[in-house]
Amino acid sequence: MRFHRKARSAIVRMFSAAAAALPLICAFPSVLPGFTAEELNTISVYEAVAPSVVNITTMACDPEFFFCAVPSSTGSGSGIVLKAEGIIVTNHHVVASARDIYVTMADNRNLEAKVIASSPRHDLAVIRVDVGDKPLKEIVLGNSDNLRVGEKVLAIGNPFGLGGTLTTGVVSMTGRDIKNGGRVMEDLIQTDASINPGNSGGALVNSSGELVGINTMILSPTGSNIGIGFAIPVNRVKEVTPGLMHGWDRLMGWLLVLIILLWIYGRIRRV
Amino acid sequence: MRFIHKNLALNFVALSIVALYCGWAGAMTEDEKNNIDLYERLAPGVVNITSTVMERDFFFNVVPRQGAGSGSIIDSRGYILTNHHVIEDARKLEVTLASGKKYTAQLIGSDPDTDVAVLKIDAPRQELAVIPMGTSENLKVGQKALAIGNPFGLGQTLTTGVISSVGRTLRASNGMLVEDVIQTDASINPGNSGGPLIDSSGKMIGINTAIFSPTGASVGIGFAIPIDTAKRVLDDLIEKGYYAYPFIGATLMTLSPGLAEALKLPVEAGAMLVEVTAGGPSEKAGLRGGDRRAQIGNNIVVVGGDIIVKIDREPIRDADALIRYIRRLRPGDRVVLEVVTWEGKRETVRVTLGERPRPVRRR
Repeated sequence: MRFHRKARSAIVRMFSAAAAALPLICAFPSVLPGFTAEELNTISVYEAVAPSVVNITTMACDPEFFFCAVPSSTGSGSGIVLKAEGIIVTNHHVVASARDIYVTMADNRNLEAKVIASSPRHDLAVIRVDVGDKPLKEIVLGNSDNLRVGEKVLAIGNPFGLGGTLTTGVVSMTGRDIKNGGRVMEDLIQTDASINPGNSGGALVNSSGELVGINTMILSPTGSNIGIGFAIPVNRVKEVTPGLMHGWDRLMGWLLVLIILLWIYGRIRRV
Repeated sequence: MRFIHKNLALNFVALSIVALYCGWAGAMTEDEKNNIDLYERLAPGVVNITSTVMERDFFFNVVPRQGAGSGSIIDSRGYILTNHHVIEDARKLEVTLASGKKYTAQLIGSDPDTDVAVLKIDAPRQELAVIPMGTSENLKVGQKALAIGNPFGLGQTLTTGVISSVGRTLRASNGMLVEDVIQTDASINPGNSGGPLIDSSGKMIGINTAIFSPTGASVGIGFAIPIDTAKRVLDDLIEKGYYAYPFIGATLMTLSPGLAEALKLPVEAGAMLVEVTAGGPSEKAGLRGGDRRAQIGNNIVVVGGDIIVKIDREPIRDADALIRYIRRLRPGDRVVLEVVTWEGKRETVRVTLGERPRPVRRR
């Protein structure tokens, strides 16, 4: 009760100091007394970015002799809204081997998603949901080339199925090359913000609320966070996703097949 | 010449002092200064708790086992707030203040349902630095959270992070659900239990209680019981030693829409009474429990009891909703239930809540 009265009097004071306080109120719609500037930044970034991060639940089937009658395993991951009409980017390993993919939005809508394209090489996948007439909130893409070691980053995701979790830390290092199952992932961002299973595909944003990376993997002897997490830089996402979205890579693949076929055909004719 | 030199030297000294001073002040960001200030102000109010539990070994010999936890001084009379699971079954409780002084603590009260306990030490007032309690009502995801505690028995440790989420649900050791639990990425480890979670203004907003971890140590997912929950039970714990929970005196079962259809009941969903405690509030109000068994698929269900569909005009769709509603009330409060009897009659019943019987303490 006492708090309410305090808050109310604070609001009255804010209105009386109209001109000076207005920009502040505009900048932080949920401004409350007693927060430091650092906290206000974190809170406002979370409130701006959280609607663009979705939870992904997958159902997979282990290979069976006949067919897959019952989904045998479930997984969870995170995703980021690239386009308001329902284009979501996540990690390839989140949706790989999934039979059904369900996406839970920040507004608790649960929709089924289809994989548009997936690139194991970049560990990126683009999925699509039918959002109807309620468009999603797009994330703002930043520039991962400007990242400095020591700058603040926020990770938003779905660790262990705990949706909408915010963790914070700093950029520990940029340009890491990490071996991942026989494949080397290049130029990753290293962070000490807690990244755990389920955070995969989630957003790593800077203090201005711009996406700088996609949380992808961790280095850990235990399988859960020890303070060394890695994210795919957003500039790679910007390069790769348009191709994935429009299927250019698939088109190129088919063109290659066509050329080879033509070439073989030519050889046969000559014989 | 010498005079100028002297002046120059003096200037240099003065300048370097100014530079040093500015360096000191400017080397730390506002955020760091805030952390340091909070730690220095509040750390004296955080205590280490060592509990000794008597156990029997393989040969049935009694052997003591020690556990460590944390607590916060909440009152200049020496009351200490901690977790129930820190002091559970303890034969001996020892509290170490930040100054290193040790006191034997007395258990004042504990509530396993919310995992809150209160201890008391007889220390002189000047030894006791009180941690002020705030509110956990208007917490924002992203605001700073500081944890002070005794992880792995290391003694006074500060870890910082942010509030990762609010409104999580946690299951206490006796199976009861604690709601509105705060999630933080400040490192919480075994031994941090019972310690305070503090906001940037130096107010206690939670009691660090549990972690989610496959390894047993912090992975950046810690949980704190909100201070408002602790405040709710605190007065009762100090006064009576326990928190009196309201009691309706019935065993309930969720009547799901599917079950209602299978039993051909004229209700969509609700909470069905399985058994009514003899002499309890429900029996006194004339409610009836089940009296026969029915087989639904592979399950045997006790049927024939009344079905609660509304409490104080609030619709009830499952047993949990009813329990959640009643837990917010106190013994002696009256509720108006809308009940559908097994015969399909709609009735309004007034029930005066009783006090939940407490399990006999093992000693």
